[in-house]
Amino acid sequence: MELLLAGLNHKSGVAAAARDNLAAAGAAEFLRRLREAGWEEAVVLSTCNRLEIYAAAAGGEPKERLGALARLIEAAAGAPVGGHLYLRSGFDAARHLFAVSSGLDSLVTGENEILGQVKSAYETAFAARMTDKLTNIIFQRAIFVGRQARADTGISAGQLSVASVAAALAERIFGTLQDSSVLILGAGQMAEIAGRHLLSAKPSRLRIANRTFERGSELAAALSPAAEAVRWEDFPALLETTDIVLASTGAPEPVLTRAMVESAMPARMGRSLFLIDIAMPRDIEDAAGELDHVYLYTLADLQGIVDENMSRRKKEISAADRLVEAKAREFADWLAAVRAGEQASLRHHPGRSLRRGEVSPGGVGAARDGEPQEERS
Amino acid sequence: MMESVLFQIASALYVAGTGLGFVYLYNRDERLSRWMHNLLAVGVVFHLASSGIRLKHFWDIPENRWYLPVNSFFGALSAMALAITATFVVVEGRHRLGILGAFVLPWACLAALGGVFRVHSMGDTEIYGLAPALQSYWMNIHPLVIMVAYAVFGNAFGVGVALLVQERQLRSKRPQELCYRLPSIEELDTLNYRLVAAGFPVLTVGIIMGGIWAHNAWGRFWGWDAKETWSLITALVYAVFLHQRLVKGWRGRKAVYTSMLGFACVVFTFVGVNFLSRLHGYLSAR
Repeated sequence: MELLLAGLNHKSGVAAAARDNLAAAGAAEFLRRLREAGWEEAVVLSTCNRLEIYAAAAGGEPKERLGALARLIEAAAGAPVGGHLYLRSGFDAARHLFAVSSGLDSLVTGENEILGQVKSAYETAFAARMTDKLTNIIFQRAIFVGRQARADTGISAGQLSVASVAAALAERIFGTLQDSSVLILGAGQMAEIAGRHLLSAKPSRLRIANRTFERGSELAAALSPAAEAVRWEDFPALLETTDIVLASTGAPEPVLTRAMVESAMPARMGRSLFLIDIAMPRDIEDAAGELDHVYLYTLADLQGIVDENMSRRKKEISAADRLVEAKAREFADWLAAVRAGEQASLRHHPGRSLRRGEVSPGGVGAARDGEPQEERS
Repeated sequence: MMESVLFQIASALYVAGTGLGFVYLYNRDERLSRWMHNLLAVGVVFHLASSGIRLKHFWDIPENRWYLPVNSFFGALSAMALAITATFVVVEGRHRLGILGAFVLPWACLAALGGVFRVHSMGDTEIYGLAPALQSYWMNIHPLVIMVAYAVFGNAFGVGVALLVQERQLRSKRPQELCYRLPSIEELDTLNYRLVAAGFPVLTVGIIMGGIWAHNAWGRFWGWDAKETWSLITALVYAVFLHQRLVKGWRGRKAVYTSMLGFACVVFTFVGVNFLSRLHGYLSAR
């Protein structure tokens, strides 16, 4: 029994037409063709950015069998892609799969969506009865390693968009946002994106103030039935009962001044106020952020944090690589032992509760809404 | 002998647990937090064993029978370390706030190490007969109640430090990972408030009990002894904290500074006053 892999990814430089053909074929169709060709165990991972076939072959030369997989892909692509394909077996194939599930092979390092996609690729194959001992174990293992890499290293730490950083900071100030009320100034596209982000944290209240009330109402309706549009001239008074202000208007001058904030503070009884200014030019006076209990973040501040998170993830790649390598080695050793007819078992990380994830990988794909994800399909 | 050995093991475990607490600040491995709690819990067990032996030796002196052995500085330090650690294990353990260990536990370590230092400088664990005035059931209540209040205030102080750190992080505009590990500003603020709100009535009741005891033992309710005075100051500072918070909405830094001032008074009442007070001096009595 040998694990084989034939695949293409975003780095492979395949013509767009061929890529479209492959995406259109879909995992189910590939599984069907694989079965017709006599394969008994196979999992197909098909996303916008990759097509990979993991298969187990009992007999024959791995090289020949890999050639068969390559021809199958080429037929579906309708174009010669042979030179771009990567063909791997055994340890190398396992290492690749673990790297993929850990997000190391993704465009955005450590992104979460791929883990869910690995899981659903496995589930699709499982439902089609195309999995058996080897594919069952390697895929459950891959999900486990993907989780462990994210838990033990920083490859998926930190948010990668301005809106999600802002939401994360709001949580550092208020804890959960369930008791927090949000006020959005402006009704443009940025306001909408950031508003959606804050909404996913379920604030108690979301109000939108826009110079044209109708446009504000439209955004409120688009965002959530709980969102509420308010008159522009009323917004300074609302500062008393607002915890998070998100400013994104097209105004040439600051619309929220230090004086407005200052006069709202006594009624707030010391509760923190988080001001997010993602407008260009700025909407909120810098001096407002100097007040006690007021935290002001601008677009530049948030972008700075995004950049920092990005480079921090990159620094964690080698640590995650080591983990992937060790786990692939463990798997290859296990497979060799099984082949030799020995009793062998794959150890889990001692004392880790991640074991649960392996039996029932539910919720694996729970990517944070709006995070940049590589493999959205 | 055995008592001091066990006490020193407990102290070492507290110090080791606190060390892990500091490492945990910068390393998100959950095992660190778990081991910190384990070490502290084992430390508490050793500490209780040590206290049991202490109690036995203390009760071997006939007039001490059934009274708590906290009439000496060592006894008080030991009880203090135990109270702070136990409060931490219960409060922060339950809320899964192991991250606060680095802020709260140094006080437990300080008390424990003070005890270790005291044992070495005195040569023993200071077990001696109670002065006649102290031979009262109040001996088991008054110091205990006060110490519970102090331990709670010690925890509040640690939470306050964490709040200042978190505020700094957020104001820097470049929050480090620590920012994402610490509880939020509002959570820390609420916890600080709740701890003080819990400790204040306990302290007040403890002081009043002290007054009643003083009335029974010395014939007066209040005598402006240094400890009495300073405990009153402590209570007043915390009363200001609670009043300002509830009425004026003092939160964040201002509230933390007040709570910290209160704890400075606690420390002074607990340690410094020994050199001033004739009646309450662990160091002057004997």
